[in-house]
Amino acid sequence: MATADLTRRGALPNPDVRKYEDVNKAVLKVLSRPGKGWWTLFSIAVAGVGVFLVSWFYQIYKGIGVSGLNAPVGWGVYITTFVFWVGIAHSGTLISAILFLFRAPWRQAIYRASEAMTVFAVMTAGLFPLIHVGRVWHAYWLVPYPNSRFLWPNFRSPLVWDVFAITTYFTVSAVFFYLGTIPDLAAARDHARGLRQKFYRVISLGWRGTDREWHHFSKAYIYLAALATPLVLSVHSVVSWDFAMAIVPGWHTTIFAPYFVAGAIFSGVALVITLAVPMRKFFGLEEYLTVKHFEAMAKLCLLTSMIVLYAYMTEYFLAWYSGEPPERGSFWNRVFGHYWWANWIMLTCNGLVPLMLWFKRVRRSIAALFVISIFINIGMWFERFVIIVTSLSHEYEPWAWGLYRPSVVEMGILLGSFAWFGFWFLLFTRLLPPVAIAEMKEVVPPPRRGKGAS
Amino acid sequence: MSDGLRRRDFLKVVGVGGAGATVAGCSTDKVERLIPYVVPPEEITPGVATWYASTCGECASGCGIRVRTREGRAVMIEGNPDHPVSRGGLCSRGVSALQGLYNPDRVATPLRAGADGFEAITWDEALALLAERMGTGGRSLFLTGRKGTTEATLLNSFVEAVGGDRVIHDPLDDPALRRAVEIAFGVAALPRYDIAAADFLVSFGADFLETWVSPVRFAADFAEMHAVDHGEKGTFVFVGPRLSLTGQNADEWIPARAGAEANIALALAGELVRRGGDAGPYSEMVSRYTLEDAAQQAGIEAEALAGLADRFAEGSALALGPGFANHHGGATAANLAVLILNVAAGSLGRTLHIDAVPETEASSYRAVADAITAMNSGTYGVVAVSGTNPVYSLPPVSGFRDAFTAVPFKVAFATTLDETAALADLVLPDAHPLESWGDSDAAPGTYAVRQPVTRPLPMYDSRPMADVLLETGRNLGHDGFGAATFHEYLRAANAAWLEEFGAGMGITGDPDTLWRELLRNGSSSYPVELSQVTALQAPTTAVDFGAPSLRGDGDFTLLVHPSPRFGDGTHSNRPWLQELPDPVSKVMWQSWVEMNPATAERLGLRTGHMVNVATEHGTAELRVWAYPGIREDAVAIAMGGGHTEYGRFANGNGVNPMAMLPVAVDGTSGTLALVSTRATIDATGAWRRLATTEGSSDQDDRNVTPAVALSALGHAAAAEEHDAHGQIRELNEAGGFQRVETEGRAEDFPLPGSDFGEYAEDHPRWAMAIDLDKCTGCGACVTACQAENNIPWVGENQALMGREMHWLRLERYYETVDASHAGTLDIRFLPMLCQHCNNAPCEPVCPVFAAYHTPDGLNAQAYNRCVGTRYCANNCPYKVRVFNWYRYTSENIPEPMNWQFNPDVTVRDNGVMEKCTFCVQRIREAGNRAALEGREVRDGEVRPACQTVCPAEVIAFGNVKDPDSRVAALARDERSYRVLDAFINTQPAVHYLKKVTHHDVDEGGH
Repeated sequence: MATADLTRRGALPNPDVRKYEDVNKAVLKVLSRPGKGWWTLFSIAVAGVGVFLVSWFYQIYKGIGVSGLNAPVGWGVYITTFVFWVGIAHSGTLISAILFLFRAPWRQAIYRASEAMTVFAVMTAGLFPLIHVGRVWHAYWLVPYPNSRFLWPNFRSPLVWDVFAITTYFTVSAVFFYLGTIPDLAAARDHARGLRQKFYRVISLGWRGTDREWHHFSKAYIYLAALATPLVLSVHSVVSWDFAMAIVPGWHTTIFAPYFVAGAIFSGVALVITLAVPMRKFFGLEEYLTVKHFEAMAKLCLLTSMIVLYAYMTEYFLAWYSGEPPERGSFWNRVFGHYWWANWIMLTCNGLVPLMLWFKRVRRSIAALFVISIFINIGMWFERFVIIVTSLSHEYEPWAWGLYRPSVVEMGILLGSFAWFGFWFLLFTRLLPPVAIAEMKEVVPPPRRGKGAS
Repeated sequence: MSDGLRRRDFLKVVGVGGAGATVAGCSTDKVERLIPYVVPPEEITPGVATWYASTCGECASGCGIRVRTREGRAVMIEGNPDHPVSRGGLCSRGVSALQGLYNPDRVATPLRAGADGFEAITWDEALALLAERMGTGGRSLFLTGRKGTTEATLLNSFVEAVGGDRVIHDPLDDPALRRAVEIAFGVAALPRYDIAAADFLVSFGADFLETWVSPVRFAADFAEMHAVDHGEKGTFVFVGPRLSLTGQNADEWIPARAGAEANIALALAGELVRRGGDAGPYSEMVSRYTLEDAAQQAGIEAEALAGLADRFAEGSALALGPGFANHHGGATAANLAVLILNVAAGSLGRTLHIDAVPETEASSYRAVADAITAMNSGTYGVVAVSGTNPVYSLPPVSGFRDAFTAVPFKVAFATTLDETAALADLVLPDAHPLESWGDSDAAPGTYAVRQPVTRPLPMYDSRPMADVLLETGRNLGHDGFGAATFHEYLRAANAAWLEEFGAGMGITGDPDTLWRELLRNGSSSYPVELSQVTALQAPTTAVDFGAPSLRGDGDFTLLVHPSPRFGDGTHSNRPWLQELPDPVSKVMWQSWVEMNPATAERLGLRTGHMVNVATEHGTAELRVWAYPGIREDAVAIAMGGGHTEYGRFANGNGVNPMAMLPVAVDGTSGTLALVSTRATIDATGAWRRLATTEGSSDQDDRNVTPAVALSALGHAAAAEEHDAHGQIRELNEAGGFQRVETEGRAEDFPLPGSDFGEYAEDHPRWAMAIDLDKCTGCGACVTACQAENNIPWVGENQALMGREMHWLRLERYYETVDASHAGTLDIRFLPMLCQHCNNAPCEPVCPVFAAYHTPDGLNAQAYNRCVGTRYCANNCPYKVRVFNWYRYTSENIPEPMNWQFNPDVTVRDNGVMEKCTFCVQRIREAGNRAALEGREVRDGEVRPACQTVCPAEVIAFGNVKDPDSRVAALARDERSYRVLDAFINTQPAVHYLKKVTHHDVDEGGH
């Protein structure tokens, strides 16, 4: 494939990177001994994980009552955060698998980090259903396992679908992530010394970089990409059905699956930006994560933001158009009721702020993108909060309307979940090559045509 | 024979002795005490309930109860359908007697006041001390509540024997009414009201459905009078400044200013006299009153009163009141005026009966006031208190506390310490009514007995007061009582009565057989010819009908009223009642001040704002509850809060409004006036949450509790044809019970599309019908449900978070409430419980099949399978599923309250969802009994707990697939509807019958 062709498709051969060896050096430099900044962040993350675990165990010991949940709001911050992290998990696979299949070469620079983000986000999300149930020690009953009493889960329940969707997604994205890193792990192995070398030797599975290996590797990679692609759509569709299959006004809509998938990609890409900006700076990867890449992600954000905004408007319109008082009441309550502020945070962060991305100057400003991405992260968390809490607080039976206030424990677990995610991500940046070395080489101006390119 | 022990004998001894030691080792004392048998064990089958008929001892109404005991423990109280007073109904307070019996704050041993508080002493010491002080300590005063017939006889003879005085103090007695009857008819007795016989009922503020006289009987009568029957329905008008629960049931509200009752009643009587009515010797006096003046004084429109006069003239009318909550300085006059109105309307002898039998168990504040003076002057050396708590229930300015404290020796007969008993020198643990003998003749021609239903609880060394009196009498050398125990005394009294009157009434037979019969039935009726007063007599006492003056200079009349839950505060130490949402305000655990929303807005307040309510005598900081059912110039506070020495569930909750009242006494009867002062309201600026179950009292276009106008009844079919949603309706009615006979008959079950295990053809389909036209919103069903199903309470903090656990709640929606004009009132009650939907939204979402459908149509919950995702609760449109957020049962319920647990119902643990089961344990019990007897379950054989206590017979339960069942007939009724079914096709098994209104209502589009 000619360079011109790649350029047309968005990949910019970096004029500053001249040699393949530079790529190796620049990326593997990140894996060296961490500095003070990293240790500070890592300590914060470990402390946060501590808060997370202490809060959780306290809740298990005392009862789920330590949360602010009540009747009628039986789901709150936990499920909100669950959906948030599941959403985050989407962009990774989108960027690595779907964009891989669509041959969008701008993905090369960011896909490793976003894949890692995916795996860690699913790991985080997967904890929340456990955190949220009343009797976590019986949560395994949701898994269909053979037992002497022939008790099976209820396959009509979207929560059981969730179990399948999340575990499948986690398995496939973890395998896909690991597979993609193997050549780079081999590069790290060759670069490392001592204990680290032993570590990379084991996990690089003896990769030598032969033609035959590259052949199998790229086949496997493309098949896994094809397998992961439908999962991007299915997982969040299934998660959305947790709500859409219920009869709660504000949940029970057919638009939920595409709406949630778009929202997931939206939030995921936003978090990729949020993570990539500091990573780029601290690890000196400016040459690899260029403004072009960020602009491409900004465009993806803009697109999904428009879809999400459209979905919001559709919901309002259909609530009015349905003529059903509970449906209308639910949405009126969203916009003007007790939780109006949450709704307006959501609309502002997800609908209005991203409108700035229509301007090229904004899209090309790393600082602006960073700020906007933070807005989107907040907005998308509130989107789930609005959907879950305001709908439940204002259902059919007027007498049973009620309010929900998150408790300290819930906040501890919410913040702790970011620490948990950060803990894994920080380890990732120091243990695995955070930028795909092999694939980056594909977009470096070739001294000679390389191997195994698509 | 050889000497010594032979080998065989040795082995026998070792074997028997070893086995005996083993058995003895197994059966410890504790095991024996676990099963306190009252009847010989051979009558008890473990696992099968034994029922005892008895009489409720919670207030002076004397309702009949049936107590369910299991293995010797009382676990449930229901109404006794054979009882002539209550006719099967019961109130929340009656059901909660179980929590009085098993109260953890009961006095465990006799207590003697020492230097460092109370010290435990033995009964022997206590009785010796009591005898010594009563014998030599000076004159005795017995300050008691109203007692049952024979106990009162004993008490009076004891007082006479020891040379003392007896004073009755009961804030829930109506001495002003008794005195008014005496003035009007010459008999000092409460009238006998026949509400059921009236077509037109006016209450001048009397809370006859809550606390006044005999609320359970009145609720049944009111349902009979007010519920629609063959297209007819009585009218109920409430006159008064504040809508109590009784007022909320009215068809019209005349929001008259407090104190205006007498003028209104007299003006109406005058109007009736002008139209040809007769008010006897008062005719001339009443004709001086005009409706215009009365209306002006009451602050309402004169037309409203003219309308009332028309309807009084029409026929069978009855006026009640004003009730103790509205008693002011002219209470007797107001009561007299209402009696005169009844006579002028021709009600005497029709709906109002005056039996020529004076009552002796009559309270009076004046007697208490005299006793206070006497105590202060050192007349009494000994004061005994029983069944009353004047330190709490009298205004502190009465000086009772100081006078009482100054008495040299004070003895309290008390089940739990209260504010008065805490000041006593000797506290004698009294037996609970469920542990002791007693009787009552609450209605003429009725004799009801109270029998112990369980052995006295072993951890409380209590003795019934009557037994203590008998023993003390013996110790003092008075042998005139003729009985060793009160049981013997009661039997003797009964035998004496039979001997004297039995033959004359045709009651014959062996006294022991008759007694056993009495114990089995709980009561017996005897034919009695009561002479009745038929005319007013000329007044012998000068009565001033003028409006009373209020003390203080605030902007608001302070209305202090008995609580429908706690009465005068006697029942405050019961968590079921603390957590029962107040029937009016729906507030739990806290006190509040009621204020009209317009007033609140004027003062810049909203519900939950803290205000200081101040009178000359006290200030209380309370949460505001904005209530459209109170006049703008009044604020109201319920009694029952602010206990300081009453036990863990009462202390510190809310405020006691009595502390703010002056001592204002109605001069004619000596009644303490509750409407006596003005109050000022000052905002503190703080806002605190109100522990309420009320989400919204506006139906918000959902029409969850529609009504139908009386005039529209019978035309429902025509209205349905014009329904824009005809098609949807048809679809909805394809489930549950069919109104269209030709399609979807009972035999068409299971319904197409619903064959996912929801039904089995050979099973019944359990369903419930709830007649909203009868429901008075009293909440007895809520407490009964809680008692039957081991539902824990959660406490104030959890209630604030909306985590109360009731499986059944009473929703209350305002339709038309206007405190500034007389006119139509429309407040709707909706008892909401699991609807056992045919198409239940909770079932498919449960990931582990904890929520599932039984073959007989119950929406069941397998607690042990529940993981606690709470998805079912989210998806329940009725919000009737409740979650165990903590270990409420094990952490909140102290020993011995857990003795009350129903062994037929699982106790739920942390993290589990629970809900109404239609009392599945009762369904199964009836099913098993029917199977053993080789028959089908009879219609009406299964009665859920909520149904068994309902005094108004609102609830019917049965198999809706049986077209002849009562529930099926009700489901076919033209008023039948199902909540939210039109929106979401849940096809509930609970059929509600619409409330019927006298005014036209918008039936709504859905």
